[in-house]
Amino acid sequence: MANTPHYAMVIDLNTCVGCNACMAACALENQTPVWDNKWRTYVHDMEIGTSTDDDVRRRFFPRLCNHCDNPPCMSVCPTGATHKLDNGIVLVDDELCMGCRACVMACPYDARYDVTSDDLEQGDKFFGELHYRTRPSVDKCSFCAHRVMRGLKPACVETCVGSARMFGDLNDPNDEVAKLVKTGVAKPLMAHLGTGPNVFYISDIERTT
Amino acid sequence: MEGMFYSTQNVWTWWIAIYLFLGGLGGAAVVVSCLTNMYFKPHKQLVVWGNISAFIMLSVGSLMLFIHLLDHWAVINVLNPMILITKPDAWIAWGTQFIVWMLVWSIIYTLPYLLETKFWTEMPVVGTILGWFNWLGKLSLKLHKLIGWLAVINAFGTVLYTGLLLQSFPAVALWHNPGVPLLFLVSAFSTAIAFLLLVLYLAIKQEEDHELRVFYERSDVILIGIELMIIFVFFEYTTSGLESARHTAQILWNDMGWIVGFVVFGLIVPFLIEFKGVTKGWGGSKVPIVLAAVLVLGGGYLLRHYFMYAGVYERPYPAVNIIRQHSELKLELAPTNKVLALLPSHYSMASKLG
Repeated sequence: MANTPHYAMVIDLNTCVGCNACMAACALENQTPVWDNKWRTYVHDMEIGTSTDDDVRRRFFPRLCNHCDNPPCMSVCPTGATHKLDNGIVLVDDELCMGCRACVMACPYDARYDVTSDDLEQGDKFFGELHYRTRPSVDKCSFCAHRVMRGLKPACVETCVGSARMFGDLNDPNDEVAKLVKTGVAKPLMAHLGTGPNVFYISDIERTT
Repeated sequence: MEGMFYSTQNVWTWWIAIYLFLGGLGGAAVVVSCLTNMYFKPHKQLVVWGNISAFIMLSVGSLMLFIHLLDHWAVINVLNPMILITKPDAWIAWGTQFIVWMLVWSIIYTLPYLLETKFWTEMPVVGTILGWFNWLGKLSLKLHKLIGWLAVINAFGTVLYTGLLLQSFPAVALWHNPGVPLLFLVSAFSTAIAFLLLVLYLAIKQEEDHELRVFYERSDVILIGIELMIIFVFFEYTTSGLESARHTAQILWNDMGWIVGFVVFGLIVPFLIEFKGVTKGWGGSKVPIVLAAVLVLGGGYLLRHYFMYAGVYERPYPAVNIIRQHSELKLELAPTNKVLALLPSHYSMASKLG
């Protein structure tokens, strides 16, 4: 197991410029039903700060499946469609998924969405003969496992112009992602729920007063 | 991370609430009618009414759940009993098996009574089908108590799983706590006894059942009293607990459907009616108890309805997928989603695309 990677992502909120290229790259790579506003990764465009104009700032907040160590979407899945690889990536087998949506209810990160029969029909028109989806399911980010297994980075990381997204191996002490996580600079979301998320964020908020 | 957002969900709504209600009611009806027949008072008619009604309830509920699925063919994966070995951590897997085997054993338990009743044996189609299973009816009589217990165990599992299913969603404070399975358990048995009281008063109508009816009424008073106490505990938990629980409290305790519909008319009024019935009596009139039973049944549904709608998620960003699925279903906005809908436009998906 020592040689098995444990994949994780670090997102630096300081360098995300909100270009949404990650959303576009992911949508094309994974053929998500964008015509129905369904995304594997999404960049929230938010304002934070107090009510005075000087304090308000714009924040882009990318989010995706957190590939939890203890994924609630997997434990509630009645068919075993949602499963976890040894390398930490959580995948969905659409051959097994019956679309009960228990995973949607269980996910604290709002990372799951339907791929309906209508979406499949629309996908045939949108993606043409390259469309690979054949069955309805409840989809989610796969960390582009098909690319990672070929030694590539996930599409969203590859395309990120601000290098806000970093992908790496937590089991490799020399990996930049592992260092950012180990030093505590990058923190997980809602870790108190016991999910053991593997997407970590570097905050863009600093104390200025 | 600073700045959390709170939202309800519109993925499992009234459709699933009806399923949870029918599952709890049907399962508990089988438990009560079979145990009554085995240990309290042999009562063939009660078993037939209880188990056939439960069969219909669970069939309708399961059909609703089936319709809700995205891939209907894939349901075969969860109907296979081996799923309990490969997915023992999934309550839906357990629930599916409990329901299937509850239906099987409760019908086999009821079969001898159906075969000796002209109403059923002379019924077109049903009578013919029953005729094919004469052998099974005879076998069932030989092993009647064992089969009864198999039905009871699976029916109890069906009741318990409805609450455990909600408890298995960790992101929502209202659901992810040990009180939910207990509340759903008590509510299921309360509604089942109310249903069987209606059967005894309106369908079977036998004078010799007086003792049984009084026993059921006393049991129901105790169950409604326990349910009221659990609701009070939930009130305390949601009003002084986690932030998402406090949002739940704001939804529930500002909604007249919950306060008046469920708490007052679904619990307090039937409790008072039945309490007077078991202490001083109603002068031989069955109307108050029938009314109380109907109110308990309505309250049982409302409990599950509001539990589905009032579960609040806490996230560091606004919900996207759940809001989107909500708009697809074109259902009434849940209260917290109404608040989210009023947020500045840059939170909305429309601005993202536009």
